[in-house]
Amino acid sequence: MDIVRRAIVGAIVVAGLAGAALAQQPSGTPIKVGSTLALTGPLASTGIVHQLVGEIYVADLNKRGGLLGRPVEWIVKDDQSKPDLARTLYEQLITVDKVDLLMGPYATGAILSAMAVAQRYNKLLIHHTFGIPNLAKYEGQFPAWSLGADPANTFNNTLHDALAAQPNAPKTIAVVTSKFPSIHFMALGEREVAKKRGMNEVLFLEWEFGNRDFGPIAARIKDANPDFIYVGAIGLEGNQLLDALKKIDYTPKYHFYMYPAPGPMVTSADAKNALAATMFEEHVPFVNNPGAGAFVKAFNERAAKAGLPYTGVETQAAASFTAWQMLEAAVTATKSLDDKVLIDWLKKNRVDTIQGKLRFDGPSNYGDDLMRVKQVQNGKWVVVWPKSVAAPGASLQGP
Amino acid sequence: MTLPSATLLAQSVLSGIFIGALYGLLGLGLSLSWGLLRQINLAHFALAFLAAYLCYQLSHVMDPLATLLVIVPLFALIGVAIQWVFARFRVSPFNSLLVTFGLTVIVEAIIQGIWTADFRKLESSYGAAKFKVGALYVPVPELMTLVVAVVLALAVHVVLRHTDLGRALRATAEDGPIAAAFGINERAVAMGLAGVCAALAGVAGVCLALSYTLTPSQIYAWIGVVFATVMLGGLGGAIGPLVAGVVIGVSESLTMAVTSPAWAPLVSFSLLIVVLLVKRGAVK
Amino acid sequence: MRRTVTAILLAGGALALLPWLGLPLFYESFLYLVLHWIVLATSWNILSGYSGYFSFGHGAFFGAGMYTTAVLGTRLEWPFLATLPAAALIAAAMGVVLGAVVFRVKRVRGELFALATLAFTFVVGTIILNTPIDGGPGVSLASVGIPKLGPSVPGTFYLLALVLAIVTMLAAYLIARSKLGTGLFAIHDDEDAAEVMGVPTFRYKLGAFAISCAFAGAAGGIHAMFVSYVTVGETFSITVPLSVVLMSVLGGTRHWAGPAVGAAAITALLYAFTTGDHALLGKAVFGAVLIVVILFMPEGVLGWAVGRLRRRVQPTVASAEVPRPTRATRDMGSELLVARDVRKSFRGVQALDGVGLAVREGEILALLGPNGSGKSTFINVVSGHYRADSGSIRFAGDDIARTDAHRIARMGIARTYQIPRPFAHLSVLANVALPAMFGAAALDARGARHEAHRWLEFTGLAAYAHAMPADLNLHQRKFLELARALASRPRLLLLDEVLSGLTPGEINGAVDLIRAIRDQGATIVFVEHVMRAVLALSDRLVVLDHGVVIAEGAASTVLSNPDVVTAFLGTAHA
Repeated sequence: MDIVRRAIVGAIVVAGLAGAALAQQPSGTPIKVGSTLALTGPLASTGIVHQLVGEIYVADLNKRGGLLGRPVEWIVKDDQSKPDLARTLYEQLITVDKVDLLMGPYATGAILSAMAVAQRYNKLLIHHTFGIPNLAKYEGQFPAWSLGADPANTFNNTLHDALAAQPNAPKTIAVVTSKFPSIHFMALGEREVAKKRGMNEVLFLEWEFGNRDFGPIAARIKDANPDFIYVGAIGLEGNQLLDALKKIDYTPKYHFYMYPAPGPMVTSADAKNALAATMFEEHVPFVNNPGAGAFVKAFNERAAKAGLPYTGVETQAAASFTAWQMLEAAVTATKSLDDKVLIDWLKKNRVDTIQGKLRFDGPSNYGDDLMRVKQVQNGKWVVVWPKSVAAPGASLQGP
Repeated sequence: MTLPSATLLAQSVLSGIFIGALYGLLGLGLSLSWGLLRQINLAHFALAFLAAYLCYQLSHVMDPLATLLVIVPLFALIGVAIQWVFARFRVSPFNSLLVTFGLTVIVEAIIQGIWTADFRKLESSYGAAKFKVGALYVPVPELMTLVVAVVLALAVHVVLRHTDLGRALRATAEDGPIAAAFGINERAVAMGLAGVCAALAGVAGVCLALSYTLTPSQIYAWIGVVFATVMLGGLGGAIGPLVAGVVIGVSESLTMAVTSPAWAPLVSFSLLIVVLLVKRGAVK
Repeated sequence: MRRTVTAILLAGGALALLPWLGLPLFYESFLYLVLHWIVLATSWNILSGYSGYFSFGHGAFFGAGMYTTAVLGTRLEWPFLATLPAAALIAAAMGVVLGAVVFRVKRVRGELFALATLAFTFVVGTIILNTPIDGGPGVSLASVGIPKLGPSVPGTFYLLALVLAIVTMLAAYLIARSKLGTGLFAIHDDEDAAEVMGVPTFRYKLGAFAISCAFAGAAGGIHAMFVSYVTVGETFSITVPLSVVLMSVLGGTRHWAGPAVGAAAITALLYAFTTGDHALLGKAVFGAVLIVVILFMPEGVLGWAVGRLRRRVQPTVASAEVPRPTRATRDMGSELLVARDVRKSFRGVQALDGVGLAVREGEILALLGPNGSGKSTFINVVSGHYRADSGSIRFAGDDIARTDAHRIARMGIARTYQIPRPFAHLSVLANVALPAMFGAAALDARGARHEAHRWLEFTGLAAYAHAMPADLNLHQRKFLELARALASRPRLLLLDEVLSGLTPGEINGAVDLIRAIRDQGATIVFVEHVMRAVLALSDRLVVLDHGVVIAEGAASTVLSNPDVVTAFLGTAHA
């Protein structure tokens, strides 16, 4: 039954996207999907990506006939980057706007707040940017970001697999990290993994998120001169560190950044061969996944029109798109808007998305760890590991 | 814990001096307006960032330093305009906090409206330039900021202490009506000073743009530490904020050099509390 | 007073019924946010608005409360409600520790206090981030059970916040009306004068700070459960400290309900612009509204509203008829004040260089000397305004050389200031009532008001009781100084050039007044330059020059002393 359902879902999604021109116009009362996003405030720089993806998806969905034949209306509110506001707004969406379905907000803090609300009303919450799997306790939440249940272990091992395959595999490691919650535990996990894999840790540093001066940190890294720097960085921290290293004439050998802002890192001249984590990049085989091709094109255009300096699709945009795909798949397969039905379905089924085939039957509804290793090569992000999904001809470049 | 090498320590201290200079430069305009105009000007940060974004934008057609030719006069005018409003409504110091906060929010919205919330980095030839002094590396943009900060602090200090204009400013700040009785045109002096403060914000913004990636919400990231700098250095002074900024910057960078960098704010701000309990008079 | 308290409780009771009205639950969550900010802003105002000590550290205590609840609830598995008193207590304790250190240093006021509290926030945040309290990953409260206080979870939070808000606002109101509040408002206008008049400034500031922090801590505890995930970055940012300042200023910091109005207004405004379509425009409008409101309502929204309602009291021109009090028997003889070898220097300037003199009970002693001789400094030292470097000052047997000024006031010493220093925001009556409450008389509020009325009559200012000091002219303000000094029923009255700036006619009236005061039983030391007043009033003279006593005794002896002549007029050049 599973396989049959899977095939049906896959076929529906592919057919739906392929036959856009043949779809009928949706009619009837709109299905309301509600969520908040950080449209203003410190998180707005990424919130805008999710806003664009949502708009693209919903517009396309309606062109294909909507959900269950009805048009879809996305109500998005600005939580101003504040989790307490996000929580209140989700309450408003459910009890005042009376939305049929929820979509998750941006970033771990807001998602946790929304999760508590969703839990109280027994509503399905699909989210796309949750960074700490072991905090997700509600059984009705589903992650579109395939970190796996234990990324501190699984992803870091993937990373070390990639490094170990190198002819001049690194032997010494420096772990330097921000104390930002969704980063910190990954860096601590890396210390364990590195030890188990026989790497010698020559330096361990933590800094407070919001640190402005990376000079001393860079100087200490240069002094330690590790073969491999694991940087627990989010946002601009990676760039700031690279700038600081450049200023003291130090070129890192192997260097990895957890969740850097993609635009600044890929355009920086100092970021040659920087490694990072990703789930999607704009090349084969990712663009061959269901829905990917058209989405990438649409996103490039819309991002450019919105004035964003970086218009590429990467983890954030891909996770967001995946979330919508999951929602559509569940509703279409069950022909229902009943949250309990949808939750049950998602737990037992797999969904074909631009990240690949996702399952949700692991701890905290996480499935496989689908995080890949990407690298800045010639001003572009390319996936270099695992080999099965690496860009054609691309491999991890060493120093 | 192995003791860090002398080079490491020296490089860290240098790094702390550079960022301290930026704190001092950002704090200069704030200190003057707070001490001499009795306004707590939150919008100072918004203006600095507006200047940074303008510098970023104009640097596509001209050298980043040349943008100062546009930014300084433009922001002087903006400062005068804002002061005109303040004077007309006789805004008290704590009310000025509210007004300037409103301004900050508006400017932030404008910046995000024009340039989006996504990251903007000014790429310039200065960005990568650096030279070596012994074993120490000196990056050019940061050095420029330090030089600008020192020069401006000294210049303002000299004007305040040794010129008639400076005396007029200080007299007006101490006792406006009496100063007016001595023939000082309060209004003109205040507007001029406000223009200078805004122009200083503009200069700080250009320095910011040279070294940092910009995003609108970053406006708020500097408020805490620069306020600390200004309050420690003494309101109305020019050298004080610079010294205080360097003290904060160096104490943080030294901490980061010898122990876990996450402790840096603890050291700098505890030091701050101790200094302000113990010192006699302002740091001038 | 009782009416307002009843009104607050009734309003609170009515609002408590909300969760059972069957409205969409979101309203309760939204109102929770409003109430949450009302608590934060009102509690901040108790110290900062009332006393003028603007704290930029409210976030530290709020955060301490959040983390107390988070840690106790998750690691020690306390029930949620039990963590709240702990949160309040820990926050208050932290406030007391910080205050005990910072309030002792006289210099740390104004922006230095703001700085100390801001720095404290960063220090606490960093400690929490780097120790097992948080350590980095944040603390999730998902496992902590929410008590069932209301028909729903949002209802429960709403009710919790409502109770806390009512308590906070009651506290703010009662404090404003209490002796503590009066003292705080006096500190706001002139802390040194308040201390000299008997307000125990250190204790009061510490008390207000502790209360303020306690409420912030409790609010933090509740909020931790509301957001259910606590991180250092979210909690110890500049948002909370800045917001409470803005809200209180917008609403009006002098009024107990001002911050609540500001908090409700700003929260509602911020909220009104959350629709996704025009987020940026909404933000700009929010900023514009703030600007416009405060430009046109500089006293804050509530301040403006109250100003409209209060009728302006027009002071009538009164005749300066000085009533003659009945004669009391004089008890002259015993030494009331004995100063021995008192020294005081200011950064190298030796203002008092070993001053020794005695004041006998019931006498009028004139303190003379050329400018800079140390007369005012002596008064300041005796009253406790400055602390002597060395030497002893015995008042009725006790050494007060190193006693706090407010205790000296309690013991029965009062002084006037040469340049009058009334409390600008208090009415004339309140100005005089304050020393009656805090000085040697130590009366309660009602008794103090009666006493104030009496002394206003005595000094001829009865008609101005409800005017503000700014409405008085110099002569009247000098008499206000006198009335204030007298209201505390002092044993020793120190007058610092009370006649300077008065017209000859006014001087006559003042001289009569001073004599009448002595006849009531006070001992007077007065510093004066107006020689005819000196001669008319004083029993003895003491002459200071360069910080030492150069002559003392009856007027005729002292004024013909060649050293005295030299001190005032210089040496003769033949």
